[in-house]
Amino acid sequence: MPQANVTTELEVERMPETSAAPLVAVRDLRVDFPGANESKEVLKGVSLTVQPGEILGLVGESGAGKTTLARSILGVPPASGRISAGQVIFEGRNILDLPEPELRKLRGSRLSIVVPNPRAELNPTMTVGKQIAALARIHLGVGRAEAARLALAMLRDVHIPDPQRRMNAYPHELSGGMAQRVVIAMALICNPAFIISDDATSGLDVTVQAQILSLLGGLAADHGSAMLFITRDIGIAAHFCDRVAVLYSGEIMELASRENLFLKPAHPYTLMLLAAFSHSPKLRDAWRVAETGVRQIQEGGCSYANRCPIAQPVCGERRPPFAEFRPGHFARCHFPVSHE
Amino acid sequence: MRVLTYLAHRLLFIIPQLLGIILVSFLLVKSVPGDPAVLMLGPTATPAAIANLRGALGLDQPLYVQFFIYVKNLLHGDLGTSWQTTRPVLDDLVQRFPATLELVTLSLLVAIGVGVTLGLYAAKRPNGWIARFADLYGLSVGALPDFWFALVLIFVFYTLLGWAPAPLGRLDMIVLPPPTVTGALTIDTLLAGDLQAFGSALSHLALPVLTLGLLNAGPILKMTQSTMEKMLESDFSRYEVLCGVPQKLVIRHALRNALPSIVTIISVLYGFLIGGAVLVEIVFSWGGAGQYAVQGVLNSDIYPVLGFVLFSAIFSLIVYIVVDLIYVLLDPRISN
Amino acid sequence: MLAKLRLFGRLALIRPRFAAGYVIVVIVAILAILAPVIAPFSPTAADSLSFLQPPSGAHVFGTDNVGMDIFSRTIYAPRIDLTIAILGTGLSALLGGSLGALVGFYSSGRGIRVWLSFALMRAADVLQAFPIFVFAIALVASLGQSIQTVVLAIAFVNAPIYLRLMRSQVLSIRSMRYVEASQVNGLSDFQTIIRHVIPNAMAPVLAQLSINVGWGIVLTAALSFIGAGVRAPTPEWGSMIAMGFQNVVTGQWWPSMFPGTMLAVTVFGFSLVGGSIEVLADPAKRRLLLRDVRLHDMARAAKTAERSSLGPV
Repeated sequence: MPQANVTTELEVERMPETSAAPLVAVRDLRVDFPGANESKEVLKGVSLTVQPGEILGLVGESGAGKTTLARSILGVPPASGRISAGQVIFEGRNILDLPEPELRKLRGSRLSIVVPNPRAELNPTMTVGKQIAALARIHLGVGRAEAARLALAMLRDVHIPDPQRRMNAYPHELSGGMAQRVVIAMALICNPAFIISDDATSGLDVTVQAQILSLLGGLAADHGSAMLFITRDIGIAAHFCDRVAVLYSGEIMELASRENLFLKPAHPYTLMLLAAFSHSPKLRDAWRVAETGVRQIQEGGCSYANRCPIAQPVCGERRPPFAEFRPGHFARCHFPVSHE
Repeated sequence: MRVLTYLAHRLLFIIPQLLGIILVSFLLVKSVPGDPAVLMLGPTATPAAIANLRGALGLDQPLYVQFFIYVKNLLHGDLGTSWQTTRPVLDDLVQRFPATLELVTLSLLVAIGVGVTLGLYAAKRPNGWIARFADLYGLSVGALPDFWFALVLIFVFYTLLGWAPAPLGRLDMIVLPPPTVTGALTIDTLLAGDLQAFGSALSHLALPVLTLGLLNAGPILKMTQSTMEKMLESDFSRYEVLCGVPQKLVIRHALRNALPSIVTIISVLYGFLIGGAVLVEIVFSWGGAGQYAVQGVLNSDIYPVLGFVLFSAIFSLIVYIVVDLIYVLLDPRISN
Repeated sequence: MLAKLRLFGRLALIRPRFAAGYVIVVIVAILAILAPVIAPFSPTAADSLSFLQPPSGAHVFGTDNVGMDIFSRTIYAPRIDLTIAILGTGLSALLGGSLGALVGFYSSGRGIRVWLSFALMRAADVLQAFPIFVFAIALVASLGQSIQTVVLAIAFVNAPIYLRLMRSQVLSIRSMRYVEASQVNGLSDFQTIIRHVIPNAMAPVLAQLSINVGWGIVLTAALSFIGAGVRAPTPEWGSMIAMGFQNVVTGQWWPSMFPGTMLAVTVFGFSLVGGSIEVLADPAKRRLLLRDVRLHDMARAAKTAERSSLGPV
């Protein structure tokens, strides 16, 4: 790439940080998976911020890198993954630079995560009560009896029916919805400042989904925690989050407030996501793109170019910078859709 | 209640298994050449005396009749008589089996200590030098001949350094054995309050236990290492890391999940060692049950061999049942 | 061909233990073959005047208590031990393997063959519940003490292992599509086994074979050690150890230690070879190995590039 273009990109590429100090700032996070022959870069420079007390939504399809991002923010990328570059700034320091024992003190207590598919993630040979209490003992330093009391209280807060009996249940004895509540209890028991909810509602019945959502939102508000809410469903993000980011193929494509994203979406991918969930058949047809054969990842171009209905030749040659074209509204596109 | 029905099921299956073992050993041992009657009476026996003894021993009956007689006697607790010691085999074995059991149990403890410790370290740091050493150890140490290794230890620690006592049995010659309670010298000497004899017993146990323990730690090490590696890479271990659980605790929790496999291999090893300690018993003149059986085979004394096979088979089966019960306790998923 | 040799060379560099195994096995094999040429003395020539001589110029390993040269006997011994172990192990693999394959094939389906398979498996269970050593001794004692019977004892003791191995291989391969396809195409059971099962089962069987040959040597030596195997004065490591046993206690270590150490090293070598086959056969481990080879190559290439770029100052 010619030198001039690179400088231009660097100038225009904006870090989405507002004037108020963010609680968590992810800067240019890159994660790759070294394979047998070559590495596969899953996160290609993700940057976002979360303000204290806000809920930031992250919408992406399967394979976009949502779980990789969720876990890498805490410094534990999925198996065989490697954080190759980037920073995660929390309370003034880059937590990715911290030695592992220091980082473990932060995880679970100040920064926690709600995982999907909880029954596979819980320890099968320990009762759920013990697992929740264990976190209290490790991070809050309380004794066994006090930890058990806190765990029981937490189970009540997540509205598990018959919490006393459930304390002594093993993970395989719980239903999906109950296991999800347990995992939420574990994420919240130490009163974290920041919660990452990774696809916490997928795989559950719709009614259970709604319950879990309101539970999560309520608890976050009660505890004053900020949240990164990751989901595949843009509709849920619409109702639930303050700001929303759209993730595609390891890059943030659009970042905006809730109103701006849904009333004035700029990136073609966002439009396609909204259209797919839309009730209007005309809108769905207008923005549907036929999947063409082989997905070609162009070197140096926009990674959405081969699926984009409004792609131009320049889109295949130059990667668009993450530009702020309206206050607080960013998009990574050469031709963002204008609604003016 | 559930436990009792489970036990009843297992015990039911043991009977045909045992019968099979007895049958095979009976046939095998019966084919060993040598006429027991001749051997018992010695070279000066008259043909008439030999014929008489053969009749008394039932040796002139067809083979299946002899088998039935043997099984019938078994049920009455009669395992036959050894012509070498001229005592009932049951008495001989009761006297000798505790020696083997003591040796094997202590060796197993050493093997567990070495195997589990090395296995844990190797799983924690899969690329460290301990892991590489553990790989080598697990692969090749088990193949080394135990009678040679025992000899090396004797040479180094007795001949050269003089730290260990002579390989002549379980106690020093001058020390009086304690009254027999369990048959295990370590326990009996302590029960009798005889500290000198206890020390002597321990010192004589040192080299044989080291031999068997070090050479048989391999399977335990390999199983611990591979199971722990799998556990530490599992979803729930990674989740614990995500929740900020410190490394020591993550390993402990993973170990709880790895225990069933490790306990299985320990139990198999336990049963194997009863018969596998034979050569070490011979090298150290231990006076154990395995040595007794070997002398039986070499001298056409068949009942000791049968008795020993029976004892070790029953012992293995008991160990397997106990281990299965432990599983039911360890893994909450099974009890449902 | 040359590329394969060079690959082997690089493999040896990054996994020296495997190379060591092959080197040991090759050396022992050479000794066994060339013993008559190399040995300074006849292995059974007893010079009663020079018994229990420590290692010296004349007798490199010393002499034993009847005056036989230990070095000559030590390098003659592999002829017996290796032969017995290889024959016995090979026989056990053939016997156990073919039975196991048949059992695997007929473990489900029609009538009497299923029952026979079941009975055979239970028989194998009973066999494996036996204390191995006592079983081997009893076999040798009942069949008469000679080299052939030791071979048979090894074969019997190890057969259940191959029975189970082949059975599980057949069971897992049987359920795969291409076997069904070939059966639909009209191949008989036997042909299916030959064409599909055996090539796939080769790798674990080979690894097991190598380790078992090591065990076989130990079993032969153990039997001879207690006097139930190869008889003196035939040179055999186990009986040599037995002969020199009492002498170790009194300080003359050489009659037992030299053959004993040779025995241990040889068995160690066979285990390493078996381990290397295991790694090469397992596709996951093989990939890791090849990745290490590539990393090693890249590191070396980087180093030579660095050196050449520095150049003369």
